[in-house]
Amino acid sequence: MEDPIGPLLIRIAAQDRAAFRDLYTQASSKLLGVLIRMLGQRAEAEDALQEVFTKVWLRAGKYDPDRGSAAAWLTTMARNHAIDRLRARPPRSDGDDALPDIPDTSLRADERLIAMGEARRITDCFATLEPDRSAAVKGAYLDGLSYDDLARRFDVPLNTMRTWLRRGLLSLRECMEK
Amino acid sequence: MTSDLYDDDIDLLAAEYVLGVLALVDRVAVEARLKTDQVLSASVAIWEARLHPMLDEVTPVAPSAALLPRIEARLFPKAARKPWFAGFWALGGASLAAVLVAVFLFNANPTPTYTATLAANDSQVSYLVQVSDAGIQLTLSGPAPTEAQAHELWLIVGDAAPVSLGLIGDAPLPLPAALAPGMILAVSLEPAGGSTTGAPTGPVLALGPLQNI
Repeated sequence: MEDPIGPLLIRIAAQDRAAFRDLYTQASSKLLGVLIRMLGQRAEAEDALQEVFTKVWLRAGKYDPDRGSAAAWLTTMARNHAIDRLRARPPRSDGDDALPDIPDTSLRADERLIAMGEARRITDCFATLEPDRSAAVKGAYLDGLSYDDLARRFDVPLNTMRTWLRRGLLSLRECMEK
Repeated sequence: MTSDLYDDDIDLLAAEYVLGVLALVDRVAVEARLKTDQVLSASVAIWEARLHPMLDEVTPVAPSAALLPRIEARLFPKAARKPWFAGFWALGGASLAAVLVAVFLFNANPTPTYTATLAANDSQVSYLVQVSDAGIQLTLSGPAPTEAQAHELWLIVGDAAPVSLGLIGDAPLPLPAALAPGMILAVSLEPAGGSTTGAPTGPVLALGPLQNI
């Protein structure tokens, strides 16, 4: 698939402000969606988006096409920023009730994923996982849950959660490399 | 389920890092290791590519119209306001870049250069940190130390022992010689007057990595 963002990053690395605007136009809505899903609040997500695009301007020169698509580079930057914020938050004092209420979108989401060739493989591979393991991997990646959060949500000891997740990841890796 | 192609310990650590499930301390340790460990770094890149399609299910949300101007005003402070900047386009790419850097640095001068949010599990104490030329300014959320206690700030670089940056009070703390993103700031609870051993003696109340603005 063509990667329209890659050439923009190269221009941004050369201080091209028009390219920065183009990139913002193309990518900001998706990144804001990712940040809202992870951080839970629109105001904080917009604040985070501002920091992410500031970093994009300052670090575009570090993008290396050999290491992955530009879209993946951008979302990695946004996800890492959100995770840094989540992990730096003070712990929730009021237990499970404070966890964000995330609707179960797995079915609809999986149907949408089928439209994408590359995505189909990960969807197919998720279907091979035990449901709890698949939900744990998705909760971590899409909602930014830590091992602590996951253990609380699934009501299992931390070590059990770690074992589940690691087995799930190994199964995913094996399935995707078939 | 294991594979000859991978060292599972390294590859799963990479996957955990990409997923973001690690606790802050472990996460920062992976980030430090990524700078030199090419096997780990390659594993991280592969997991990023593998998992990235999961984001297809995230619904895009248009940012408010004010956000792009705010970002541009921050990155291009003079350019956004005054047309004089337009003349510099004629100078060509290299000098333009130099001018931009100069403008950026000049304008960044009075503003914070790094921030950090310090917190920890099982702690009511958190600090917002702003680093600028004026020093390290810390804003406390949660209970203040009693008269017999003090909060002491430490800098942790890689595996080295924590270095005290001083007792937290109302005034900003002086800047150490070198700060960089990813270095860890930590706050420990100490007796009034601070640790006498040169190392933290009380519990760590909060910690977090320095981040670029």
